[in-house]
Amino acid sequence: MSTITRGLRRIPALLTIAFLILITAYPLFWMFINSLKSNSDFLNNPSYALPEVWTWENYVTGWETANLSTTIVNSIIVTFPALILLVLFGTAAGYALEVLVFKGRGTILLLFLAGIMIPGQMIVLPLFTASFNIGITGSLLPLILIYTATGLPLTVFMMATYFRAIPREIFEASTIDGASMTRAFFSIGMPMMRNAILTVAIVQFFQIWNDLLFALIFAGQRKLNTIQVGLLNFSGEYGSINYGPLFAAICITVGGILVLYLVLNQQIIKGLAAGAVKG
Amino acid sequence: MKSVLGDRKAIVLLLTPALLVYTLIMLVPVLWSLGLTFFEGSPLGGFEFAGFDNFIRLFSDSAVWEALWFTIRYAILVTLFQVVLGYGLALLYNFVLRKSSVLVRTLVFFPVVLPTVAVSLLYQKIFQSAPTDGLVNELLVNVGLGSVDWLGAGTTAFVVIVIMDVWRSIGFYGILIFSGLLDIPDEIIESSRLDGASGFRLFRHIVLPMSLPIVFASFIFSINGTIKVFDSVFALTGGGPGDSTTPLTLYMYRTAFQYSDYGYGSTIALLLTMICLVVTLFIFRSSRRDITS
Amino acid sequence: MSTATSRRSRKALIGVALVGASALALVGCSGGSGGGSAPSSFEFLKNSENTTTEPVLNVLADGECKAENEKLPLEISSQPQADLDSQVQLLASQGGLPPMFSAGGNPAEGAKLADADVLVDFDKALTDLGVRDKIAPGAVSTIEKLYGGGFDFLPFQYNIEGIWYNTKIFSDNGWEVPTTWDELLDVAAKAKAAGYTPFSASGEQGWPITRLISTYLFRELGPDAMQKIADGDAKLTDPEYVKAAAAIADLGAKGYFGDNVASLDIDGSYNLFLTGKSPMIYMGSWILGNINGADNQVGAENMSFFPFPAVEGGAGSIDQYPANVGLPATFSKAAYSDDVASWLGCIATNYGTEALKQGQITGFVADPSASADLPEISQKVQETIADSTDSVLWFEALFPAKASQISSTSAALLVTGQMSPEEFMSTVQDAIDNP
Repeated sequence: MSTITRGLRRIPALLTIAFLILITAYPLFWMFINSLKSNSDFLNNPSYALPEVWTWENYVTGWETANLSTTIVNSIIVTFPALILLVLFGTAAGYALEVLVFKGRGTILLLFLAGIMIPGQMIVLPLFTASFNIGITGSLLPLILIYTATGLPLTVFMMATYFRAIPREIFEASTIDGASMTRAFFSIGMPMMRNAILTVAIVQFFQIWNDLLFALIFAGQRKLNTIQVGLLNFSGEYGSINYGPLFAAICITVGGILVLYLVLNQQIIKGLAAGAVKG
Repeated sequence: MKSVLGDRKAIVLLLTPALLVYTLIMLVPVLWSLGLTFFEGSPLGGFEFAGFDNFIRLFSDSAVWEALWFTIRYAILVTLFQVVLGYGLALLYNFVLRKSSVLVRTLVFFPVVLPTVAVSLLYQKIFQSAPTDGLVNELLVNVGLGSVDWLGAGTTAFVVIVIMDVWRSIGFYGILIFSGLLDIPDEIIESSRLDGASGFRLFRHIVLPMSLPIVFASFIFSINGTIKVFDSVFALTGGGPGDSTTPLTLYMYRTAFQYSDYGYGSTIALLLTMICLVVTLFIFRSSRRDITS
Repeated sequence: MSTATSRRSRKALIGVALVGASALALVGCSGGSGGGSAPSSFEFLKNSENTTTEPVLNVLADGECKAENEKLPLEISSQPQADLDSQVQLLASQGGLPPMFSAGGNPAEGAKLADADVLVDFDKALTDLGVRDKIAPGAVSTIEKLYGGGFDFLPFQYNIEGIWYNTKIFSDNGWEVPTTWDELLDVAAKAKAAGYTPFSASGEQGWPITRLISTYLFRELGPDAMQKIADGDAKLTDPEYVKAAAAIADLGAKGYFGDNVASLDIDGSYNLFLTGKSPMIYMGSWILGNINGADNQVGAENMSFFPFPAVEGGAGSIDQYPANVGLPATFSKAAYSDDVASWLGCIATNYGTEALKQGQITGFVADPSASADLPEISQKVQETIADSTDSVLWFEALFPAKASQISSTSAALLVTGQMSPEEFMSTVQDAIDNP
């Protein structure tokens, strides 16, 4: 096969890739240029045009209106503890349900699976009533617990799926050295699941980070606002929106996430590479 | 040997935290809400026992059936696109781009990161028709077609919602399925290549069967997301114009929280949960059958 | 042996689950213990979209209400409008309402709070404090009409609605300010012929369109037209009501709202007016903020407003302005301590003047000198409000939440011909009958 024909055969693939990059990179660009426009510029000119005047003040206004110095901290305080609990509990339960043997594990797995189907709207009222009476509505604790619980079904289900692929003998063998199944989980199960844990953690991260439903109810007080709630501050009472500063605030938060994601992505690639050499 | 895997202490220790949190925060509130399906009223005015009234109302409420029809159309279309296009992406990453796919993967994944507010504003502007044409209408006008008021009518707004939600989630499904494809041992693919299998045959007989578990997992994940679609519709069209793009979740949300009729809202939520349950059990069963065969 | 262990562990699990459930249930039953005690701060829960009340309160807290603020510091929290009513009802059901909060964006939901007796009766409270005369009578009458007859909300905003117009376009083309519906149609036809979008209206929001229906009804049938619907004495499907919807649908059919009105959002509609592409917009006086703002390319001096014209032979009068109090705020009865009461007194006394200094028109009585620096058009509105004796409401004002929602999301369908006037009115009436 000559290099030319090989090159030609790659053209459809290259075109697909170019198209993919175009439709996903464009919004980034769109958001950035619109974050620098005045409101009248945004409304009067096509939204894909460059700004008439580069209004960098939008970033200052955006930061203040979205109350980012508070909301970023709150989003972090909520997301990471929830994520850690979620991954730890979920992986442990996935291991218990798929590797260990006991009666009723199929039922419990199904019980967790059922949780994927529960609409969040259905549990809001009871949870609010309960946390109000316990007296924790003035803190971020309810949100951490709720995100942990609502993320569990998917995590348990996915972890169980991943553990299913690993021969049980590996865990049994470890107990010959006298280790308990609990120790086998921490010393063998968790490390083997590194890829899966990262994948699940990333999925859950964005679910939690972008959640609005629970955040609205439980983080409505200004000192508890998460980023998503803060972004609503750009709407006016009669439906108008302060576009430039809103896009600026989104650019700031998304930029931060992008950096985090790029760092994590390196980790994922490493993890995946490590997984690929498995024998 | 079995007794080792039946380590009681390990089971309790590893399972209890998850089960406890899950039971307290999801199952109990669900049961609580289910109880409310037999009541009428709101937290403020108090609840009154209503027997099966809410269920009778559910079956005679045409808005529920319209919302259900929207939900079904949306869920089937979007789930199909998500999984099929996601699979296509994963194949592209794994077999065409191979090691150099990092940048493309990152970029295509990017829309997942964007907050719903941002995505919906973007799509409102791309499909805008008033006061000035957006990008799509501009293209249509340039090729000689008229401009369309995309979000001004139910049928065209539906198209925009589907495009938007497929666009924003496809990168995620690409990576999810890609991680499944990575688990297929290279030796198997190499050896079947040596046997003369290539292109579509390699895909049909080796790649597809071996990636079925992750495909099923994707289906379950996707369908449960799409049946529960809420924030993207809420932010893009608010369910309108009229109630032409109102899914069940939005109708439930409005009934419970804006019309403060929590009992009836819970009844709608119950219908929604039942649908999810049936669909998931169906996929779950067929996946179990396929894996064992 | 393995069976025995697993059975035991399952029992343990079920036990845990049951304990958890009953703990939650117990907690749930002990509800209502949260309220009653005197608040430790003057918390104001507002809708996050409201950006006008907070700056005024902040000035007061540093100035006239400094003493009150030192005793009970002002603390502001916010909730998006869409979720505010449900959040407030949840808090009310738990006895956990903050001392002051916004509520009743949908008047029917606000009236529910008044019915549940969780709000302060301002008639009595303000009289006790000796500041009852600090609330403008017109605003009080609007509040009483909206919220089931009581004076349970405070008018932190007071808006009148009418048609804002571009005086320059009118005079350049020699159009007269219309005083009757037919004259309005005449001007609209001329505007359309001259290449303008005669009326700028947001179909995406819907309410800018339904308000035209209700104001037409008030002019044609008299100020009690919508009260009759609320009381069940008339139906929206009655021919005289459908006629109003048909009149507005006809504006759409003639293209007076421009192409693609259905998806035009509120900013787009303001922008058409503020850039001179549209000579008229029906809107409330909150639009003054935009008219006096930097994005007005026509100039505030070239803008004015006229009342919605009369319908010939109609029972209503042209000087009955549609009025509203925006999304008002109120006080919680349970949290109404002495310190909160002194805050209320201070707000009632000083809010109107400070707000007017910031260019906001409220239902609190203000020192007239505070408006001296305001643009002419704002002063005109302020005077009109002060002089008006009678007001009317708007289309959805007395509807239950569901009918209100359906009405505004269906309005775009009405003016684009996707829904006939009969269908529109019967859909809304149906939602009123089955809330």
